[in-house]
Amino acid sequence: MDRGMVIFVGALLTFSSSWLGLILYPYWQMQNEQPYAKTPGDDLYPRPLGGAALAGVKVYQANGCLYCHTQQVRSAKFGNWWEDGQMKTGADIRRGWGTRRTVSRDYIYDRPTMLGTMRTGPDLANVGTRYAEAWHHPHLLNPRAINGWSTMPSFAFLYTREKVVGGQKSDKALKLGREWTVNPGYRWRPTDAEWAAILARRVSTLPDVSQAATPNPFNLTTAAGKAELLAFWLTTDEEDYQVIPTPEAESLVAYLLELRKAETPLPEVKE
Amino acid sequence: MATTTPLTQTDRERSALERREIDASCRVPVLYFATSAAFWLLVGTVLGIIASIKLHSPYFLTGSPELTFGRVRMAHLQAVGVGWSAMMVMAAAIWLMCRLSRVALIYPTLLVFAGTMWNIGMIADVVGILSGDAQSVEWLDAPSYVPPFFITGVGIVSAWTVATFRRRRELHVYVTQWYILAAVFWFPWLYTVAVLMIFWMPATGVIQPVVNWWFGHNYLGLWLTPIAVGTTYYIIPKVIGRPVHSYYLSIIGFWSLALFYSWAGMHHLIGGPIPAWLATASTVGSMMMFIPVIAVAINHHMTMLGSFQRLKYSPALRFTVFGAISYTAVSFQGSIEALKDFSEVAHFTHYTVAHAHLGMYGFFTMTMFGLFYYMVPRLTGREWASPTLIRVHFWCDAIGITIYFVSLSIGGWWQGRMLNNPNIPMPNIIEYLLRFLFARSLAGGLIGLGHLAFALLLVANLMGWGRQRSGGPTYFVEPAPNAGDVQG
Ligand code: HEC
Repeated sequence: MDRGMVIFVGALLTFSSSWLGLILYPYWQMQNEQPYAKTPGDDLYPRPLGGAALAGVKVYQANGCLYCHTQQVRSAKFGNWWEDGQMKTGADIRRGWGTRRTVSRDYIYDRPTMLGTMRTGPDLANVGTRYAEAWHHPHLLNPRAINGWSTMPSFAFLYTREKVVGGQKSDKALKLGREWTVNPGYRWRPTDAEWAAILARRVSTLPDVSQAATPNPFNLTTAAGKAELLAFWLTTDEEDYQVIPTPEAESLVAYLLELRKAETPLPEVKE
Repeated sequence: MATTTPLTQTDRERSALERREIDASCRVPVLYFATSAAFWLLVGTVLGIIASIKLHSPYFLTGSPELTFGRVRMAHLQAVGVGWSAMMVMAAAIWLMCRLSRVALIYPTLLVFAGTMWNIGMIADVVGILSGDAQSVEWLDAPSYVPPFFITGVGIVSAWTVATFRRRRELHVYVTQWYILAAVFWFPWLYTVAVLMIFWMPATGVIQPVVNWWFGHNYLGLWLTPIAVGTTYYIIPKVIGRPVHSYYLSIIGFWSLALFYSWAGMHHLIGGPIPAWLATASTVGSMMMFIPVIAVAINHHMTMLGSFQRLKYSPALRFTVFGAISYTAVSFQGSIEALKDFSEVAHFTHYTVAHAHLGMYGFFTMTMFGLFYYMVPRLTGREWASPTLIRVHFWCDAIGITIYFVSLSIGGWWQGRMLNNPNIPMPNIIEYLLRFLFARSLAGGLIGLGHLAFALLLVANLMGWGRQRSGGPTYFVEPAPNAGDVQG
């Protein structure tokens, strides 16, 4: 046989072996996995995503959330740590990322299936059970508004900042201190000159606001009192501007709220 | 390679003339692939540095959707992993195949067309990802309109490489040709199957990540690795003027790589929601990988034995040997990483990122630089303009990748230990990692500096600013007169 033929046939056979073993066989084994109902007639789990949540998958894909977040909870036997001289296992569940490990059935409707490979942030397989919509929006706008230590990027480009018209803020407007909303994505502070101007302009209303809100009114005759007032003022909402989620942000959050992969009991999850 | 009868002066002249003719026929397409590759390397370096800084300084370049971490991270991987690596692999495959088959390249324009397909694909890929069309499937992030360009491009290159082999005039088939032939056959298959089963006709649920890691792992193992190992098998003997130590070892190395590497990918999913036997099969495959790696390591080492002083002179040799040593190191590490206990810690952490860069950079990229320094002067007829710049290139890269690897390995390991202990809260882990991520950005900057030196050298060479290639090559230092017949 010609040398070229030997290489060709050999390469074909070796490669086919892994293709058959690692791809085709599992394909044949798992391709037709079905959703589960405890008794016939019960609600099926999982269910395909629809509407806004489905659109949210695209936002999640486009912005690479996958590169910092996994979507898989590992078993109670996985990994180990030492506590009181004893070896324990199963950190994922103990961290509250799910009540059980995830199994292949949890993913049958995922396109694409975003298991992830990096945990810069927490696992999101079950994040829908942990937070409400009102938590997600400020967090996505600037994660440091919620957790000062966060290194997650801000997704301020999924939000718009606009002037309030007619004195009435939109229902969707984020309830978030002005330090996070004046310059979305960043943490804003007025310069000394700006702050002096604001104080001068609004000297009549500002102290009222602060006095109503705290038991000990700020003493505006001292520098310390002014600094306290500034710190407080930064945490109050802007009056004439509002930050609103774009449809993309809304669908992304709809998707996050649907992520409940590690909750519903399944017969194959026996620990 | 190995010639037993001594060569006469006319033999030498005749074969030098033949090599020049072959090089002339390859000049346009191979330089086109190689410079495109270098261009994507630079793009990828910039993107990589941006992504790296963002991980410890989240306010860096905040605001535009195009430069959000996730998109830059994906564009980086595509630029270096698919732009630089694949185009360089194709340049190497074409040139080495022509040289080793001792035939000139026919219809070079067709290959320029193939390279253009790949370049168009890459532009659409990077621009598409940055503007929001990414897929978030690791290694396959290219937007849906990109794969047809890649499949066309690589299809032509593969067909041409095989055609060149079939026209060969050299009867002996050298081990480098084995590797190239297998790789150009494996990759189109691998890529088409992956795109088909993940995007065009998506398989159910977790089969997608199974296909994803079968692809991701084999992309390295059956596309980049064979060609880089094949290149090493070519450059080392060429530069030191000695045949490869053992023909049989090279055959064992080849077939065991073919057999075992393709089984190794599933350890990326250890602990995941896939059948446990899949990960176990891959752990076995990964352990068996010791065989080809040791075979290649012994072979290269024994070939080099007695010639180590030549690392002082020859840039091509120094980069190649750095690559070869990294190959052994990264493969040993990879096999050990596939062990369950080890993987339970390293998984989902920067430890894996460090490992990937030791492979993609320390091994693959450094080997390809070796090929660059050897090949380009033979194609352009110009020597490298400045040994100092080559030295800057080498040391920036060598030190850079070492800092990179060491810092992320340590940081990643403890990240994994801490993630596995629920009593350690997330903020502590994130805070602990910052210093290592910062060191990684420094390393990235250093590597970027090296690439700048490399780019300057390449541009100078293409502009014809180097010495005419008539005497010897550009060395770091001129070898002592009795150092023997050093090439490269
Ligand atoms: C650079 C890495 C990174 C990227 C990219 C990233 N995150 Fe995060 N994420 C983190 C970190 C770190 C935390 C933990 C700190 C915090 O709560 O902000 C986190 C926390 C979260 C949480 C809270 C989880 C919990 O259990 O407390 C959610 C929800 C989340 N991210 C969603 C997203 C979404 C959606 C995206 C993509 C649009 C995304 N993240 C992209 C790093 C990242």
